[in-house]
Amino acid sequence: MRRALAITRNTIREVLRERVVLVLAVFGLAMALGAQALAPLALGEGRKIVIDFGLAGSSILATLLAVFLGSTLLHKELERRTVYAVMAKPIRREEFLLGKFLGLWGTSGLLLAGMTGIVIAAVTLFYATTPWGAVPSLGLTVLELGIVTALVTLFSAFTTPALTAFFALAMVTAGHFAEDLRYFAHQGAAPVVKILCDAVYWMLPHLEVFNIRGLVVHDVAVEPARLLFAAAYGLLYMIGVLALAGAVFRRREFR
Amino acid sequence: MDDRMTQDSKRPVGRTARRWPGSPTPRLREVEPLAPLALASVSKTYRNPMTLRPFEAVRDVSLSLERGEIFGLLGPNGAGKTTTIKLVLGLARPSSGRIRVDGRDPMDPGSRRRLGYLPENPCFYDHLSALEYLELTGDLFGLPGAVARRRAQVLLDRLGLAGHARKPLRKYSKGMTQRLGLAQALLNEPALLILDEPMSGLDPIGRAEVKQLLREERARGTTILMSSHVLAETESICDRVGILNGGRLLDVGPVPDLLASGVREWEIAADGLPDRLLRDLESAGHRVERVGARFIVRVESPQALQGVLRELCEARVFIHGVEARRRTLEEHFVEVLGRDGGTDR
Amino acid sequence: MSRRDLLPLAAGVLLAAACVVAAGFVQAGAGARLGRTETDELLYYPSGYAVRQAALGYETAAADLAWLRAIQYYGEHRITDQKYDMIGHLMNVVTDLDPRFTQPYVFGAFVMAQELRQPERGLELLSRGLRANPDDWELAFQIGFLHYVCTHDYRAAARYFTLAARTPGHAEYVERFAAWTNERAGNADLAILLWKGVVVNGNRYMQDVARRELRRLGAM
Repeated sequence: MRRALAITRNTIREVLRERVVLVLAVFGLAMALGAQALAPLALGEGRKIVIDFGLAGSSILATLLAVFLGSTLLHKELERRTVYAVMAKPIRREEFLLGKFLGLWGTSGLLLAGMTGIVIAAVTLFYATTPWGAVPSLGLTVLELGIVTALVTLFSAFTTPALTAFFALAMVTAGHFAEDLRYFAHQGAAPVVKILCDAVYWMLPHLEVFNIRGLVVHDVAVEPARLLFAAAYGLLYMIGVLALAGAVFRRREFR
Repeated sequence: MDDRMTQDSKRPVGRTARRWPGSPTPRLREVEPLAPLALASVSKTYRNPMTLRPFEAVRDVSLSLERGEIFGLLGPNGAGKTTTIKLVLGLARPSSGRIRVDGRDPMDPGSRRRLGYLPENPCFYDHLSALEYLELTGDLFGLPGAVARRRAQVLLDRLGLAGHARKPLRKYSKGMTQRLGLAQALLNEPALLILDEPMSGLDPIGRAEVKQLLREERARGTTILMSSHVLAETESICDRVGILNGGRLLDVGPVPDLLASGVREWEIAADGLPDRLLRDLESAGHRVERVGARFIVRVESPQALQGVLRELCEARVFIHGVEARRRTLEEHFVEVLGRDGGTDR
Repeated sequence: MSRRDLLPLAAGVLLAAACVVAAGFVQAGAGARLGRTETDELLYYPSGYAVRQAALGYETAAADLAWLRAIQYYGEHRITDQKYDMIGHLMNVVTDLDPRFTQPYVFGAFVMAQELRQPERGLELLSRGLRANPDDWELAFQIGFLHYVCTHDYRAAARYFTLAARTPGHAEYVERFAAWTNERAGNADLAILLWKGVVVNGNRYMQDVARRELRRLGAM
């Protein structure tokens, strides 16, 4: 685990030195300006709009960051051959990949937390109420981000950056349509189609499980059971994807 | 069953005999030392992903290093040197044959615990400084932080990088990066050092320093495998060399043995050669060259050498020295490749 | 940067600026020529279900965007032709995306009732909101209000005001609305009950009003 964490620390340093923290500054500015500009147009629903756009924007930004940074992280190492000196050390392939995953997840999670903090601060400042519901929402969105990062790690273990980004985004998008896929498949399709669709349904990440943004904005309390279920599902799915990624990367040859 | 390979055979070592009641005390078996690196009939075939045509990068290579030697792996571009090294490091899997690094399979991370590796044209995380990179290396080797930091300082000093320890690696020159590569390869005080083109990017002073460093490591008992294009320097530092071409190991042996049969001529440096003797030597077919006040007489056969030396002594000519001009490693290398049909990649 | 480097850079920036300005003029001219007809407007606007699928988990943010668009639609037509044909569809999209967003139900219902003179459509929208948010007293209150003001169905109004009065968190004026309309609808007993509630929970002024009403109804 120490070796994996060494790779994690290095990955976080590498990503932060890419100046992604500028994203925070841009986001903060957009929040402040947006709150002032949109509120008068919203017929008294300014607070809702700031929370909605803030949480959605931070989630989308963090996801895109994880996908586009993650898709090049491993590829860069292979292209520049920095991985050779590392893999010649007594580190397992799986440890290396785990370190990369934790580094990327950690960084995008930290940025997400920063952006959520900015949203909470902006709402408190402009509307004198604090949307504390954003905190459990942050927790679930971090888990969602973990699944996205795990998928990016899996695809980057065997394909190019462009395809990695494409497949990861495709899985995330398809995950949102998973319920519809299953519903349509069970409307009179042949049994083998139903089985295949069910298999695809269970393989896709059910990201709606982590979506409580609608509850946050309406100050509806979230049941602890829901949070626990989402956490369990997220962790299990991540571990499964990472196990597969490790198996794939273990077979990979460095040319 | 213990399947560690010895230098000569796959005879298992270190097994103790079973003791039956009443039987005499068994003799202790002599335990043979484990080869730091052994390859047995190793081949590696790649397939073109588009045409699926096979390409043999390494063909039936067998090799065993002795503890504490410096072994030079030579070959033209595309001979299979880097592929062989990748197989040893577990970066690729052999298609057939077996490799043992300190008795372990290269895919076992434990085989790399006492191994140091310098890649060809090394590239490191350029967002880190040299010190940070060596600390990361120490973490990967499982060294305590204080130990890694102390060793890092010593190595950076030894390799002339102490003044650049905190500079980001993106600002390093090629030579500095090469030296950092050596530092990270030596951090864990390896028993086996694998160097791919260690002299690359270094000026003559740097090369001399690296050669000295390698000699010091050898004196400590470190086994070194180095691949190089710089044959003159390989000749001067390696105990044994192996010549690879087209993935096959064509020739292996100690450098002196490889070159012993290749004495081209002898050079006799002498003063005050009389004109008569000069004419006699030239008419006998020996070349005589004048360098200032000195004469260099070149004699091609050992039999003629005896005769020429006797003549010079009888003529009371002062002989400064007699030197056998051996074939260089480069000449041997070219000859071996020529016999094999040249470079076929 | 030398003069030789500066000149191409300046030329490039000027060219870019000129192109952007020219494009703006083309856009403005093309827009004026092509115009916008009433029937074209928002025809492309998809159904709430389609937008929900496309929102990929950001339904409430998409609802806000749809809400802002709806406000703009209302504002544009208010200052021009006072025709709000698409308002129902727009509010359906917003509320499909975020059923807990109550303001669109109320706003949309009143535009349809007051401006379009279609109170039944307004009531349908509010009822949909109440089904999605049964604990929202304001929606029940607004339904009662529309019945009272537009359809003059006092029994229905009394029913919904009473529902609102029984929902926790309601405003203090809800009870007197419930009491008055129940009396108007012929439910004197219920009216008396509600006024007694105001005597207990209302402010001083409302307590005086409640006592006066109770005396008038013969309950005090």
